[in-house]
Amino acid sequence: MRIITVRRISQVFFFSMFVWFCIVSTIGQSPWQVRGWPVNWFLQLDPLVAIGTILTTHTLYRGLAWALATVVLTIIFGRFFCSWVCPFGSIHHFVGFWGNRKKKTAEKIQLNRYRSAQRIKYFILIFFLVMAAFPSMAATLQTGLLDPIPLVTRSFNLVLLPIVDKPINFVSVAGRFYEGVWLVFIMFLVAVLLNLAIPRFYCRFICPLGALFAVLSRFAIWRIGKKQKECINCKLCERACEGGCEPSGNIKIGECVLCFNCLDECKDELVSYQRRPSLSGETPPDVSRRGFVLSLATGAFALPAVRLANKLGSNWYHKVIRPPGALAEEQFLKRCIKCGQCMRICPTNVIQPAGIEGGLEGLWTPVLNNRIGSSGCQLNCVACGQVCPTAAIRPITLAEKHGLDDFAQAGPIKMGTAFFDRNKCLPWAMDKPCIVCQENCPVSPKAIYTEECFNTVRDGLLTVKNTKGNLIETEEEILTPGKFATGDYYCAVGADLRWKITANTENSIEILPDEKSSKIPPEGSKIEVQVRLQRPFVDIEKCIGCGVCEHECPVSGKKAIRVTAEGETRSADRALLLRG
Amino acid sequence: MTEQNEKEIGRRQFLLRAGKAGISIAAAGAVSYLLYDNTGPRAGTEAGDLVTLPDFSVPQQAGKTMSVIEGPDRVETVNKAIRALGGIQRFVKPGETVAIKPNVAFASPPFLSATANPQLVAEVVRLCLVEGKAKSVIVTDNPINDPASCFTLSGIGKAAGDAGAKVILPKDYLFEPTTLEGGRLIVNWPVFFGPFEKVDKIIGISPIKDHARSGASMTMKNWYGLLGGRRNIFHQNINTIIAELAMMVKPTLVILDGTEVMMTNGPTGGSTSDLKRANTMIAGCDMVAADSYGCGLLDLKVSDLPYLAKAEAAGAGTTDYKSLKPIFDKTG
Amino acid sequence: MSSVSHRAKYLESAVSICILLVLCLIGLGVFIKQIDSDIGRFGLVTASSALPAETGISQKAETALNELAPSGFKVLSQPEFYDTENLYEKINGKAPLYTEAGFVELSTQRFVSTSDDTLMMELYVFDMGEAKNAFSVYSVQKRAEGKDLLGMQFAYKTSNGVYLAHGRYYAELVGYAESDQLLKAMEQVAGKISENFEVDRDGQIAELAFFDKEGLVEDSFRLYLANAFGFEGLSNIITARYDVDGQRITAFLSRCSNRQHAKTVSESYYQFLIDNGATAKEPVNKILEGKIVDFYGSTEIVSTAGRFLVGIHEADEQTPAEKLAVKLIDKLGQIKGD
Repeated sequence: MRIITVRRISQVFFFSMFVWFCIVSTIGQSPWQVRGWPVNWFLQLDPLVAIGTILTTHTLYRGLAWALATVVLTIIFGRFFCSWVCPFGSIHHFVGFWGNRKKKTAEKIQLNRYRSAQRIKYFILIFFLVMAAFPSMAATLQTGLLDPIPLVTRSFNLVLLPIVDKPINFVSVAGRFYEGVWLVFIMFLVAVLLNLAIPRFYCRFICPLGALFAVLSRFAIWRIGKKQKECINCKLCERACEGGCEPSGNIKIGECVLCFNCLDECKDELVSYQRRPSLSGETPPDVSRRGFVLSLATGAFALPAVRLANKLGSNWYHKVIRPPGALAEEQFLKRCIKCGQCMRICPTNVIQPAGIEGGLEGLWTPVLNNRIGSSGCQLNCVACGQVCPTAAIRPITLAEKHGLDDFAQAGPIKMGTAFFDRNKCLPWAMDKPCIVCQENCPVSPKAIYTEECFNTVRDGLLTVKNTKGNLIETEEEILTPGKFATGDYYCAVGADLRWKITANTENSIEILPDEKSSKIPPEGSKIEVQVRLQRPFVDIEKCIGCGVCEHECPVSGKKAIRVTAEGETRSADRALLLRG
Repeated sequence: MTEQNEKEIGRRQFLLRAGKAGISIAAAGAVSYLLYDNTGPRAGTEAGDLVTLPDFSVPQQAGKTMSVIEGPDRVETVNKAIRALGGIQRFVKPGETVAIKPNVAFASPPFLSATANPQLVAEVVRLCLVEGKAKSVIVTDNPINDPASCFTLSGIGKAAGDAGAKVILPKDYLFEPTTLEGGRLIVNWPVFFGPFEKVDKIIGISPIKDHARSGASMTMKNWYGLLGGRRNIFHQNINTIIAELAMMVKPTLVILDGTEVMMTNGPTGGSTSDLKRANTMIAGCDMVAADSYGCGLLDLKVSDLPYLAKAEAAGAGTTDYKSLKPIFDKTG
Repeated sequence: MSSVSHRAKYLESAVSICILLVLCLIGLGVFIKQIDSDIGRFGLVTASSALPAETGISQKAETALNELAPSGFKVLSQPEFYDTENLYEKINGKAPLYTEAGFVELSTQRFVSTSDDTLMMELYVFDMGEAKNAFSVYSVQKRAEGKDLLGMQFAYKTSNGVYLAHGRYYAELVGYAESDQLLKAMEQVAGKISENFEVDRDGQIAELAFFDKEGLVEDSFRLYLANAFGFEGLSNIITARYDVDGQRITAFLSRCSNRQHAKTVSESYYQFLIDNGATAKEPVNKILEGKIVDFYGSTEIVSTAGRFLVGIHEADEQTPAEKLAVKLIDKLGQIKGD
């Protein structure tokens, strides 16, 4: 069996596994739902995630230990991950092959020559690692922007899968929505289309993970090389060379992605996977000192430059409502790799990728948008923290989320607080009864409570013409028939007397009799038609900011009750109330 | 022969490379093992980042815990008050670094008595440097208004500098998070720690003022200036926070200036009609006792200030100042 | 040359096969990993989605519900189970009515006619923990237009529903169409519940027997577990309607823990009435021991008889109210085992 056959099988195997993991990331017990599928495995195998978080947090979190396997295998065998495992790489490989297949051999060989621009990915790697290595709180993890595994994960989960699923509703009953992912889409599309210009464009020029692998593979025991110095120089080995490493001559060993196409193509079988460096010369990955210093300095200045907007201090953006269990913002940005798994798993589709309004570092990190999805953050759900591969969202239990048992002293986790916009709320501003928010508030006791009040309706001041039992006829004939029969309207005399209205025509009102019916006003006196309102208030000690009220509010554009992040328990300096 | 050589060189190179690979693997393994974290982060900052203020107090001497001196001139009364307690040498040893924390909360001129009196501050600086032979004295506070304007307008900046002290204005990097042991409010809260990190003694200087929220602002409330962050949230539980401040800071000496007392409209005052001349200077090692005596000058009783009982209950001192046998005297 | 290349090809195949084996192992490993996991770690676990082994009670209840299908009807959907955590998901705003009255679990099921699929009913069985809780939620929701069902102690029907309280269970049958055939089928279900669901002997509402029978309006009992008449101190109050001299009067009584307790409650309720604007009155009937007040035109009587709190609520006229009160107190005084 040829080695490239196995390589192709491996690519198909891992790519299918990756796509399968994307499909099954829905909560549930069926085989096509999450169950125990290790949906984070690719992210955990990714050494850039592990090394990034080691630099920012000085710990190696749990499942990220899988990266050690990748690192060890790379040190021994070389940059195998890129053409045997990486799902993004497989896409580039395929599109590069298929898009260029009709070209002449000479052209293909030219496309695969080594270009000095292939050093750019090392600069990108250094740039990210410098920002991650900043001392203590100043560090930030931005590798997720260009690290291929998080990139391809969010491209599939947030763009491709929702598009494919929309007509068939297999993965999600209602279809999924994600804000602002046109940018994710464009990035993915551009990366894929660039392969039509140069195969494996992303892998050769941009991928920081590839750069990391190149560095790690420096001491590989086995490497691609020629068995002898001279050959006929047909360069067929470079016709399908994926890494752009020039195996026919002095091979740039850091660029070799172990596709083995060269080994397979050489008719004289002069290319092999051997312990000796290539006899026609081998150059290790080499970044010029100038380039190294430049990317170091850029990273060192870029981070403080971004932080000048004080988005982590008093200028924080109130709409950055993070999922329950998220760490305080500085620590959060040190862990979030922008993979989108939390957005994918969230059963109500309320977790959305952020834009840059909360700061540049927050791009594609998770924030809640209560207007999207089926209901705000569900009270009895802790899925996002369970699925987060780096614990940027901690894996909390329901007890911690609700403030029970061991967590009773700390109290429930609050994501923010709901605030009424009394200028838009129906009972506050429009004299219309409505308490949908209070009805739906899931905590017990409810965080929304109401106070009853009676308001005279517009044109509600009337004069009694005569009364017959429960029927009061009015001089005026201006009432809309039936309008006041909903059970919310009352006929009032002065401040003390009030009867519920059961029916009305344009000039009469029928009231519900009670023990004070004897006091029904006589002819000529004034009565008022009043509406009974229950005006809602938020109890900020109980509100957890789950957003169900905002989602249900019938004022559907700019909601009359909106959650913002004040009062979130993850940040001591954004508290509304003293705790303790 | 050359082939033999080549083979040997090749083998040596390979072994070298294999060795380096092996070391890399071992290093990767070691790093993974040492840094492995199975539980993940907890909510809030790690305990390792928290700081604690040391105890700056000097040993007690019976009968020399509190002094109350009457007189119109601050320089004279403070000298007499400190001498009555054993002189500055009891508190400051030669070669030590002293931090003085006056009340510089507002950008307010000295005659309004909303801040500590600059001559008083200068005199205490002089005492430390000249008589106490301190190596250096720093004067610092974390004001409510803009720090530079506060130190300038209150006159304290110039007075302290002229007397030989170094004035330190608050800067971001001088704040560190702290948790008070036994505290409910000061939990993982930024505190103005930097200036006090390497000093040996702390002296607090504050005027006696009426305070709209807490009733009075005297020696214990003075330490509010050590809190950073959005500290105004503590106004929701003002008495507890003052008691916790008294637990957090154990100063060497506090000086409570009752020469001109702000009787109304505190803590900012704004009019000389808010002031009353009481010509009293109080010095002491017990903040609770000092405040308990001082409230009398505001025409208040100990029971009018709930924070006094709270602080006493927390062990920061006693409200029964008489039991300390304070030394009463006059100047002139 | 050829031997080298032959060996090389052999080596290549061998390595390839090995790698394939590794891939197979990986696939196997992933497959094994997904079998065994705790879906509950994501939250969102309701009693209905938990595996049967974990909720033995629900398993028994499920079988029990299936067997209640009336003749000519079949089970339509899986039974659903709700506890205090998620009751609101089924009945929304009405949940507190039950959760504040000792609610334990709700089981629901739908039945549909085998011949006509528009005839559908939904059965709600509320396990309220105790007979008095079930009776309370039954009695306070009793529809005025309901007709009592024969053969069962606490059951009535309306035009499209059947309601009953049986021991610690309160059951509602809601018909999705107005049809006599459907109503009869629902009555049948109610009958089955009454026969098949086991109830404690001790769970009977003993206090109902303490009401004097003369003039008592049939099945007018209501049990208020707490906050009766708007007063926090009044709990476990049973009211009943009487016809006295042509007047409809509401009487109430409650069994307190002892005499002293009864006296305390009666005094604090009296004080509550006074504080809210009632004025004390003298009884017309001199035998009557107790307090009488006028509350905005209606008469309230508060008294005790041994360990019982007893009284009249919102009577229009004083004389018949007093007459009834005397009779009730008299009857209570005869009860042994105070």
